[in-house]
Amino acid sequence: MAGKSRPEREALERQNATIMALFERAGFDHIAPDILQPADIFLERSGEDIRARTFVFTDPSGAEMCLRPDLTVPACRYHLSHAARADHEARYCYCGPAFRFPDETLSPQEFTQVGLEWFAAPQPAAAEARILKLAISALEAAGLTKFRVTLGDLGLFSALLADTEMPERWRRRLGHHFWRPAAFRELLDSFCAGHSRSRTSISDLVDRVSQGAVLTTVEAELDARKLPLVGGREVAEIAERLEGKAADRREAPLSRDKAQRLNAYLAIAGEAAAVAKDFAGVGGAGRFSAAREHFDRRLFEMEELGLNPRRFRFAATFGREIEYYTGFTFQIEADTASGPVAVAGGGRYDNLLADMGSPLPVPAMGCAIHTDRLKAVLA
Amino acid sequence: MSVLTLAIPSKGRLMEAAAERLARAGLAIERLGAKRGYRGRLAGLDTVEVAFLSASEIAQKLKDGKVDLGITGADLLHETIAPGDPSTKILLGLGFGPANVVVAVPECWLDVASMADLDEVSESFYERHGRRLRVATKYHNLTRRFFAEKGVTGYRIVESLGATEGAPAAGLAEIIVDITTTGSTLAANHLKILDDGVILKSTAVFAATRAASTDPRAARIAAALESANPT
Repeated sequence: MAGKSRPEREALERQNATIMALFERAGFDHIAPDILQPADIFLERSGEDIRARTFVFTDPSGAEMCLRPDLTVPACRYHLSHAARADHEARYCYCGPAFRFPDETLSPQEFTQVGLEWFAAPQPAAAEARILKLAISALEAAGLTKFRVTLGDLGLFSALLADTEMPERWRRRLGHHFWRPAAFRELLDSFCAGHSRSRTSISDLVDRVSQGAVLTTVEAELDARKLPLVGGREVAEIAERLEGKAADRREAPLSRDKAQRLNAYLAIAGEAAAVAKDFAGVGGAGRFSAAREHFDRRLFEMEELGLNPRRFRFAATFGREIEYYTGFTFQIEADTASGPVAVAGGGRYDNLLADMGSPLPVPAMGCAIHTDRLKAVLA
Repeated sequence: MSVLTLAIPSKGRLMEAAAERLARAGLAIERLGAKRGYRGRLAGLDTVEVAFLSASEIAQKLKDGKVDLGITGADLLHETIAPGDPSTKILLGLGFGPANVVVAVPECWLDVASMADLDEVSESFYERHGRRLRVATKYHNLTRRFFAEKGVTGYRIVESLGATEGAPAAGLAEIIVDITTTGSTLAANHLKILDDGVILKSTAVFAATRAASTDPRAARIAAALESANPT
């Protein structure tokens, strides 16, 4: 159907006004981020994939613009242009349209998103619990009674990876591939199997580089083959990566124990209040135990706010598909006759503002509610 | 019987090869009107009209149902029509016009042999230079699909309508996705194809909209083209 009738519009606005009133009472400043956004921020941060889901166009001056695919990045831009200091605490809430090229059937390409963002919150664990509590209260205020909550915590995995002894190069690559489970498994296997297996078109050069004097070898090769330096990368950059490849060959394979521990962690799933014993089974000292303490602290804070974590599910791999999250993540699905429907989600994204040009690091988190879906579920 | 429209490339090697194959199949194209007219018909099949269109337009018109049958490159068809899209069916590979759609990087990137290397470079490039790798191409959809399949996400596509292979040297892009027959143009521009960088092996194909694919005239043309295949 094209457009909403008066009763449909009024019902959606009533629902959203109820939610916004709750957010405002909780001390969140009701702002209106821009609907039109420079496409660059989305494309540079998320890469080309997002273009396939976003309405991108050029303005009359030739600049690439887009209709915002969600409101988190626009709210961050608002903060960076309005706040006296980016790392001063700020709380925002908003209600407005977002636009996404539908990737699933029945998903509208134009929908109303309500959400909140909380920058530089002083007590991280308490603030994370509070965001979840606000999201749940908002859904309940709108009339939702049957729903399920899934939690994730990307901080636990980062900590475990940081504690696992291996070359920093490997750690970076595993961290990068965390978002792609199949590639992650393949990479981990290749580290365990040792690196001498398959030869590629550059293996001969890697052999030569292994003898030492990498930079000289690379320069000589470029000279000998009369290759102009195009493509924006410096010789040092190319040499450094070749050196890394040569070093990979000398490296002892990753022990199966270590890989097993990473995989054991990623397999953890269950009732949020009960997974602590599974964490203990993974072991790990240092950073992982600090991350576990943070996890426990957050559970405690949830209970303080009247939430019952025994009703929530935790999955170690949850949050894998949304690349900007860095810590706590959650999703709330409405239980409907035709199965669960995701109506709200959120989490912590500590790197986003710095990626967008903030001179200071700004811890950040937020949540968003898909209000049209919520309305449909409640109808 | 309603008239079926067969779209043929209006110029270039693809047009010549298509016309030659049709003639050998006993279905020579007769141009109507002025010598360089954009309409014609097939000898012996007077309910099939021929429309001369640019090769890249043919896929889109098939998808939109504006023409019923078409001869064009598989690369253009796959770029325009997503896998699993039922709107268009390839009835026959014609074998001529062989060319590959490939991912090529500067030859001076001595450390890059595979898409996995490219993925790593895309990350370090972003950290080091503060921007994404740029891919010059006219094949936006093929590029997006292939890169996603290989798990490469940290890149941006920049539009390229001609002389794509010159984009890295001109500083307009770092890498390219382009069609190549012998690879000599790539080599002349100091570009190399990645070990696993062949996205598509393309030849000319005979395709039909879903509705036209079951028309006996489509089957007759396909059979004639197949029997006229020199190999």
